[in-house]
Amino acid sequence: MKNNLKILMPTLREKERYVAFQVISEDSITYSDLEAAIWNSMMDFFGEYGTAKTSMWIVKNLYDEQNQIGVIRCNNKSVQEVITGLGLISRLGDVRVTIKILSVSGTIRGLKIK
Amino acid sequence: MKFFDLHVHSAFSEGTSSLEQLASMAKELGFSGICFAEYYNVEEHIKKLMTEIEKAKGKVGIEIFLGFEARNPRELSALIEKRKRFDVLLARGGDLKLNRLAVETPEVDILTHPDYERTDSGLNHILVRLAAKNEVAIEVNFREVLITNGRTRSRILSNMKNNVMLAKKLHAPIIISCGAISEWELKSTQELISFGTQLGLELDEAKAAISRIPEDILSKSSERRDKRWIAPGVKVIK
Repeated sequence: MKNNLKILMPTLREKERYVAFQVISEDSITYSDLEAAIWNSMMDFFGEYGTAKTSMWIVKNLYDEQNQIGVIRCNNKSVQEVITGLGLISRLGDVRVTIKILSVSGTIRGLKIK
Repeated sequence: MKFFDLHVHSAFSEGTSSLEQLASMAKELGFSGICFAEYYNVEEHIKKLMTEIEKAKGKVGIEIFLGFEARNPRELSALIEKRKRFDVLLARGGDLKLNRLAVETPEVDILTHPDYERTDSGLNHILVRLAAKNEVAIEVNFREVLITNGRTRSRILSNMKNNVMLAKKLHAPIIISCGAISEWELKSTQELISFGTQLGLELDEAKAAISRIPEDILSKSSERRDKRWIAPGVKVIK
């Protein structure tokens, strides 16, 4: 028996949104620091249950280290929650940062066009 | 759509960054204009700030406004006398006497963080009704949430939600601002809008809290600074 599940039909799948953001920082940052800060911020503000409801996921392979641009995937009903969580990040380790939201789209292709 | 942040402190008061640093970060984050809310000490303060603002305006290329935040009733009455010389008059909430005085005074534009260092929200239906009558905007200050955590943050959020609920019900203007004291505490316009939606505002109401309402305050203020202005709705035509 195969180990992977059959993919759900589009009508049964959760609708996704991709949020592109840029980290403006006083010094260079690492991806692992950023990932930890995003999860901590979401957990602190919304808790485990609230974060679970957003279906949030940080898309690692879309992270642009040079321009410090990243992408978060979440469901279409939780975009405002995810953006609020990003807004509550003020430090990555010892580096002071602020996060700028670049765009929100239903597809990664849409993000790139925007 | 133009976005404004009307409550930012520079190194002139309790802030740690210069006017230029703050203004250029605000531009980067999508704001069309910001207002420096400083503390009033002496007469030369206004002149010095105005010169610095003019310099920063030329360099950065966004609209920069001058505001003063009154910390007590005495400062408030001194600033009301000089009201025509700057753009925005803010009153630092927290003290019930000042909260009351601010919402009763039509010259005041914004009552900042009415729940500051309080266990209650600092406002009730009577004060919010007065704010609506006198067009004094109730501020939601993002910095209060940014710099706290745990129980304190939870209490602040609960107070903010109460104030937003009252302001919505009694049609008082609501304004969302960063309350930043350094450029790293400034947040993008999208983040402030999303934060507003978490407090019970609809998306368009949250957008208005950083665009239409601040714009109304600024246009009212520029009208008031006109030499022909006498009182709200009254000005010399000829």
